[in-house]
Amino acid sequence: MSTQTLQPPAAPVTPRGRVLPSPVTGQELILVGVIAVLWVALALTTPAFLTAGSLQPLLVATAPIALVGVGMTIVIITGGIDVSVGAAMMVSSVITAKALVEQEVALPVAVLLAVAAGGLLGLLNGLLIAYGRVHAIIITFGTANLFLFLGLQIFGSRTVNGIPATLAFFGRGQEGRTLGLPHAFLITVAITAAAWWYLRHTAGGRHFFAIGGDPHAARLAGVRVQRRVLLAYVVTGLLVGLAACFLIAQGTSTLDQSVGSGKELAVIAAVVIGGTSIMGGRGSVLGTLLGALLVQTVTSGVTQLGWKSQLSDLFVGVFIIVAVGADLLRARARARRTS
Amino acid sequence: MRLNGTLARGVAVAAVAALALTGCTKKNETDGGTGTGATAGETYKVAFVPKLQGVPYFEAMNTGGQKAAKELGNVEWLYQGPTQADAAAQADIVRSYIQQKVDTLIVAPNDPDSMAPLLQQAKDAGIHVATSDTDAPNSVREVFVNQASAEGIGQGLTDALMTAMGGKGKYAIVSCGQTAENLNAWIKVQQAYTKEKYPEAQIVDVVYAGEDQAKATQMATDLMNAHPDLTGLVGECTSSAPGVAQAVRDAGKVGKVFTVGLGTPQSMKPYLADKSSSASILWDVENLGYLTAWAGAQLAAGKPFAATNNVSSALPAVAYDESTKTMLLGPALAITTENVDKFSY
Repeated sequence: MSTQTLQPPAAPVTPRGRVLPSPVTGQELILVGVIAVLWVALALTTPAFLTAGSLQPLLVATAPIALVGVGMTIVIITGGIDVSVGAAMMVSSVITAKALVEQEVALPVAVLLAVAAGGLLGLLNGLLIAYGRVHAIIITFGTANLFLFLGLQIFGSRTVNGIPATLAFFGRGQEGRTLGLPHAFLITVAITAAAWWYLRHTAGGRHFFAIGGDPHAARLAGVRVQRRVLLAYVVTGLLVGLAACFLIAQGTSTLDQSVGSGKELAVIAAVVIGGTSIMGGRGSVLGTLLGALLVQTVTSGVTQLGWKSQLSDLFVGVFIIVAVGADLLRARARARRTS
Repeated sequence: MRLNGTLARGVAVAAVAALALTGCTKKNETDGGTGTGATAGETYKVAFVPKLQGVPYFEAMNTGGQKAAKELGNVEWLYQGPTQADAAAQADIVRSYIQQKVDTLIVAPNDPDSMAPLLQQAKDAGIHVATSDTDAPNSVREVFVNQASAEGIGQGLTDALMTAMGGKGKYAIVSCGQTAENLNAWIKVQQAYTKEKYPEAQIVDVVYAGEDQAKATQMATDLMNAHPDLTGLVGECTSSAPGVAQAVRDAGKVGKVFTVGLGTPQSMKPYLADKSSSASILWDVENLGYLTAWAGAQLAAGKPFAATNNVSSALPAVAYDESTKTMLLGPALAITTENVDKFSY
């Protein structure tokens, strides 16, 4: 990333004269195709895959991963990564769940609280990464353990019991849907669409790509790199907070310390499968949404087919390797074209 | 997870190294003392390593262990577990207790097979070893403190579910850790017992959700979709027991699909109340912790177990089976709306 400053700058305009990349990438088209084929295959082989009773919960389960995936995509586009999102989800969830039980707060207050908590944790990550100049994986690995400690302290060796149904608006049940569509998924789609437009059509959005491509060149071109990087982690934190509300809504009336555990890997998997380059500089939030949907389709599909549970891990692993492989091949092809 | 484990291991290595440096002289002092008969007034260090700490189940065991330490007077109760149900992180804690030369080391292993060589290592260091809650059958453990027999739990779950389902129909099991010895033993009993006693009932699938509540709930939902004629679900551990009930509630199938599970009383209370859960099968977890501490002290003192042991006023006759070296807490307990409030965890 940073060792390329001596190379001649790549042409900012692609050979056909487009400034913007195409609205939908090849990877996204492939994902749409794969998901469509899987849905049809599952509809034919299982009794109820393609029914509302099956698709609605599937979309609800996809939402928190895809939502945090929007922030993670932006972070990875800037050349960073955030492995603390699972632990941050735990902290946001336990604070919110406690407020729901002990203060009996209303839905908007709970959401604000969760988002504020997540935003603060994201701010801490962002400040350390943007101004501390240590690589993001080291910083967020450190903060992940700090957040875990913080979350366990708040849990205080007890589960949070008797969580009221205040957040059922985001849940799997009847209250969580309007016209048959789950609210959690609608919100995720809306935020993904907004982020897609912002990243593609505003100067601020394009700056994230510039930073991931070459931070020094971006700085020389007048991009305020540190502010942009800080923003990427804060946005991720805010979305972690909202996703924590989704998690509480789709969990049980008891919250235990396993909440959020391993979610950072699920989110990064969705981002990578969605075609975002782990090296930074390229990526799309639309792909991430499709990646999350594919992973959940496979997990639900494996259960509905009556296959062994661990097969879903195998399939997700294969998807990640194929996606990264495709990304490397594309990068090589590009390098050949420009040299 | 992976990275997490690596760091934990690094920290543990550093901690163990520090202990080794400071503990050299101490080691010689205690070497002669372990394994021999105890003199009156001696205090035994009994360490218990749960699958993970911070969850109500093992915290309740800890409460029972502390109570035993206070009442017995000759036990120093040590309790530490990993913050995630991770075999590697648990192994680090076990190693650190071996290094500390505790008198008795008791483990509820996350992975019985990888724990066995560590227990051998502890025994070689002159430490008495035992398992509680979950057994490591192919290890050198001297006793397994069993909360209830696999038959008791498996049959209790099956009978409770069959009462709700009317003795017939299809049901599925949402289990947790795929390598968890105790869960797998109970599932085997459920499968055999269902076949034998309820020929009109059938287990259609067993799935594994890990310790993830939301995943257990989603898998239960998927199972109901995969088998439209499903009328029962079992949540095999404390995270999937409320999970399967929540799935039934969310799908609006209360009264059509019945659930039972191994849930802690307080987490099951709302589901027992709206009948999305018919019953929770468990045992008195605090008493299990008490018995674990008592058994640890007996081992450290070199006293053999009798066929029937008077442990405390609450545990007047605990059975011990010499052939399997197993101590049995007692019969499984069905938790329903009537008795749920008797438990604080």
